[in-house]
Amino acid sequence: MSRWLPCALLMLAIGCDDCGEDEPEPVADPLPGTAGLRSVADFADIADEEARSVALFEEMGKVLTHPRCVNCHPIGERPLQRAGEPHQPHVVRGEDGHGAPGLPCASCHGESHFRTVPGNPEWHLAPAEMAWEGKSLAAICGQIQDPERNGGKDMEALLEHMESDALVAYGWDPPEHLEPAPGSQALFGQLARQWAATGAHCPPEPTGDVEGPAEASEDEVSPEAGEASAPTEKAE
Amino acid sequence: MSITLTINGEEHEVEAAPDTPLLWVLRDHLGLTGTKYGCGVAQCGACTVHVDGVPRRACVAPVGSVAGKAVVTIEGVSGPEADAVREAWTELAVPQCGYCQSGQIMSAVALLKSRPSPSDDDIDRGMAGNICRCATYVRIRRAIKQAAGEGER
Amino acid sequence: MPSSPPASSFLRLGRRGFAAGAGSLVLGVVLRRHLRADAPGPLADVEGGDASPDLWIALEEDGTARITCHRSEMGQQVWTAMCQLVAEELEVPWEKVVVEQALGDPKYGDQNTDGSRSVRFNFTRLRIAGAAMRQMLEQAAATRWGVGAAQCRGVQGEVVHEGSDRRLPYGELAAAAAALTPPPERRIQLKDPDQWRYVAKPTPSLTIPAIVKGEGTFGIDVRLPEMLYAVVARPPQVLGSVRSFDDTAARRVPGVVRTIQLPAITAPVAFKPLGGVAVVARNTWAAIRGREELEVEWEAGPNASYDSEAYAETLFAQVREAGRVRRERGDTMGALDSAHQRVEAEYYVPHLAHSMMEPPAATARWDGDRVECWACTQNPQAARSTVAQVCGVPEANVTVHVTWLGGGFGRKSKQDFVAEAALLAREMGKPVKVTWTREDELRHGYYHTVSAQRLEGALDESGACTAFLHRTVFPPIASTFQEGANEPGWGDLRLGASDTPFAVPHLRLETGEAEAHVRIGWLRSVANIYHAFAVQSFVAELAHAAGRDPKDYLLELIGPPREIDPRTEGAEYDNYGSSMDTHPIDTGRLRAVTEMVAELADWGRTLPEGHGLGIAAHRSFTSYVATVVEVAMVDDRLTIPAVWSVMDAGTVVNTDHALSQLEGGTLFGLSNALYGEITAKDGAIVQDNFPRWRVMRMNESPPRMEARLVPSGAPPGGVGEPPTPPAAPALANAIFAATGTRVRRLPIFGADRRDRLGGAR
Repeated sequence: MSRWLPCALLMLAIGCDDCGEDEPEPVADPLPGTAGLRSVADFADIADEEARSVALFEEMGKVLTHPRCVNCHPIGERPLQRAGEPHQPHVVRGEDGHGAPGLPCASCHGESHFRTVPGNPEWHLAPAEMAWEGKSLAAICGQIQDPERNGGKDMEALLEHMESDALVAYGWDPPEHLEPAPGSQALFGQLARQWAATGAHCPPEPTGDVEGPAEASEDEVSPEAGEASAPTEKAE
Repeated sequence: MSITLTINGEEHEVEAAPDTPLLWVLRDHLGLTGTKYGCGVAQCGACTVHVDGVPRRACVAPVGSVAGKAVVTIEGVSGPEADAVREAWTELAVPQCGYCQSGQIMSAVALLKSRPSPSDDDIDRGMAGNICRCATYVRIRRAIKQAAGEGER
Repeated sequence: MPSSPPASSFLRLGRRGFAAGAGSLVLGVVLRRHLRADAPGPLADVEGGDASPDLWIALEEDGTARITCHRSEMGQQVWTAMCQLVAEELEVPWEKVVVEQALGDPKYGDQNTDGSRSVRFNFTRLRIAGAAMRQMLEQAAATRWGVGAAQCRGVQGEVVHEGSDRRLPYGELAAAAAALTPPPERRIQLKDPDQWRYVAKPTPSLTIPAIVKGEGTFGIDVRLPEMLYAVVARPPQVLGSVRSFDDTAARRVPGVVRTIQLPAITAPVAFKPLGGVAVVARNTWAAIRGREELEVEWEAGPNASYDSEAYAETLFAQVREAGRVRRERGDTMGALDSAHQRVEAEYYVPHLAHSMMEPPAATARWDGDRVECWACTQNPQAARSTVAQVCGVPEANVTVHVTWLGGGFGRKSKQDFVAEAALLAREMGKPVKVTWTREDELRHGYYHTVSAQRLEGALDESGACTAFLHRTVFPPIASTFQEGANEPGWGDLRLGASDTPFAVPHLRLETGEAEAHVRIGWLRSVANIYHAFAVQSFVAELAHAAGRDPKDYLLELIGPPREIDPRTEGAEYDNYGSSMDTHPIDTGRLRAVTEMVAELADWGRTLPEGHGLGIAAHRSFTSYVATVVEVAMVDDRLTIPAVWSVMDAGTVVNTDHALSQLEGGTLFGLSNALYGEITAKDGAIVQDNFPRWRVMRMNESPPRMEARLVPSGAPPGGVGEPPTPPAAPALANAIFAATGTRVRRLPIFGADRRDRLGGAR
């Protein structure tokens, strides 16, 4: 699979001559785990590389499934807000992720925060195919590596998105009343690089019921029947 | 500090902290009271203006962020969409108390500029940010469609 | 009763009131309450309620008709309606009409713009005034031409001589007409309705052309030279007070001028300011920022334990106890005990907030011991008396200018905000505008009361309802004005409880006691909101128990066309201030709107899967409204694809604006039912802004809404409020039809954001 190629190159680049050992993968300027997110070093004692990769991704999952990230990767057309409530007013992704004609995101969200209203020059929603609201970590893990569903990113582009994208950075720097994503973008970026370096393995699908998309709009009355019963296809 | 604003095509010098919301600069400093306060938190849309052609909630727009940009308020909004909207609003007697209608009109004009023939869905989505407690929604919808029809002629 | 007035006492010539030119005809209209009963001719139709000596109408030299509107313009289009009535009979071109908003003054009679009565109480006398002026102009022309007045007719701003087709514009006749004596009442000729050109027509609004340009002055828009801007930090609990405060940080905010502690409020709360600490600044934003930096320690006061969740249980416990009988027909309890089938249900409607889009705002300026106020008030006379009382000056020293109101819905009948402005302006020695933020409006309202109701019905073997018990428990509006008042008054009960028009052999209304812990006020249609919700929901519940169609069952309960008088069954009933002779409770009209709306909605048709129709009909403010709501429950999501509403408001002055009220008032009711809930914790209101307090938006409004007026020659009824009451029960009934789930507790979507459809009591 072509998407593994950059990963392999990456592993070469950072050097993996001793991968079979218990040594942690070397990381540039390793950060200590902080603010609810463990660091790469905290996974060093997992001997099995695949298990370590999975554990790293599960750690990343604390960020990926945090409201600061999920809220803008909604399964339907409507973003979430705060702790994951449907966004009020009822705004939508629109054709380019920047909202509807007449009500673009920028109507309310400026280039920087204004009191309780978050702002960012890049403020917009992830495209529908990049939605992971309500999905399992396993599903998200598969999805974000699939260029069909990650905006055409190869692994390196994906890692760069996670470690340096300006809007992703918002997750750790929301207005005061909102809980930031755990850790920091740098720490998250290191976890991601190490996850990639360890083979970018995905956690197994949870057994039993796969958690379906949250009923994001259950309190909503909309004009047309079924209007917001968005596609609920589960990514595998 | 002194900030230079361009509002409805005219330059104004105002003394205000850059983080002062544009809304209060318009209303209190400049006396442009057509732009209304409704919630202060970008929930009701009563304060909608256009900044470089994009609808913007003036209550959460720091005045410093619009310096050097073209701000248009209800007092100055013009052009074929604005004319059509005002005409339809009047003909169909859309407003009741009228307080939210500055914002409704500013949103409707912005909607029509990017969607000259909006569907019901487009209207729902484009106007969802403007609350009307008199609940004139039935007529707003009708008037936007009428204004769109006139735009086509 | 006062005696009949002498002839012509209701019309007076005058030159006061306007800066009218020497050539103007200015007519002051005396509008006395007692003109109704014994007066001859058209005066026999004059509605009571107001008692005003002076309402000025000026016809100026250029033909402009300058008409005073003594009621407040808040979106009901009262400016347009009042002017339509005068202009209709005066026969001036509509574009020559200019409105003057009256100051608050008892000479205008009742200016309290609520109760859906502006048109009801002014329909006849304003037309008489216009006709009198026209006849004076006709007389002046007749004299000029040396012809009989009977040959002269005022038509669209001119007097026309029918014999010769000579014409004179009104403006040229005004001075001569002003020298004449107004005609006696018996000589005043009103047009037949078929000659009307403005009344009962969609006459264009006098406010909308300004609104669409962002013009017009609302209360919050007032600007005076040297004016300062204030916001107030008020005690979180009603009757709470300031223990101490530290304004060090507040005064450091650039633009903040000063902080001022307001006097603590004492019971009864009435319209008095709530107290607290004001931050006065050079602009609104500085005042808001200053208030954020203010540190206040509050004394919580006697309402600190109020918890609306727990209080609901108190109300339910109370409503299960036998109450005080307020209306009784037959032996209701006996009939219930011996019923073939007994149906029982309990309903709950929470506190609601007004949340008109313009929050309260007022400006005041003192000159010595006199104060001038500008306010978005529904009741300028109450503003005047409140300011006088709070500031300790005679009422004569208080002038109240009425601005446009960005919505009222009853909140702006309460004058606390105007008194705040007067107090602060006096303290500052400069004009001060007080602006309420949305948070202030929601946390310091005069809330729609909270209610629990229990209904019981007896069905016989055929399913017919033989007994109907309605027990209602809620903190009454009187609690705001009288400390400790805890029993529903007749003023609350007449609103959809004591006037239930059902044709059942046994009927009883009971009330129970309930204490108020927040300020209770009236909100558009008032107690009709919860009474209609319970009664009209219960009708559908009875229909279901009887295995009958809800529309048929409703019509059966309404019974044959007849007139109902609750006073014959022990109720005190004032019929919204209108006579029972001119505005009877007419079940025929209630039937008619029910049948019409059913036909409009094609009641009985096959519906798509998951859809349901609900119907409700209710008389309030002497008008009749029936509503059908269609809901769709698809994938557990509730939507409202369509709504139909029919209103019989008698003669309607502006057909287009009345339809607009019918549309908006219906959606207002649906919005409350879907989302409206104000809750209290530790005595303080929880909801602080949108969307924690939620109202209907465009995308939540029904895509299809059909509103119709019943053509009627009956005297005008109310228009602004009657559309609201049937909306909520029609919605609840539709949800039941679609899902089998009965909503008995509002709102449908609670403040906890969870769909409560399954959690109804």
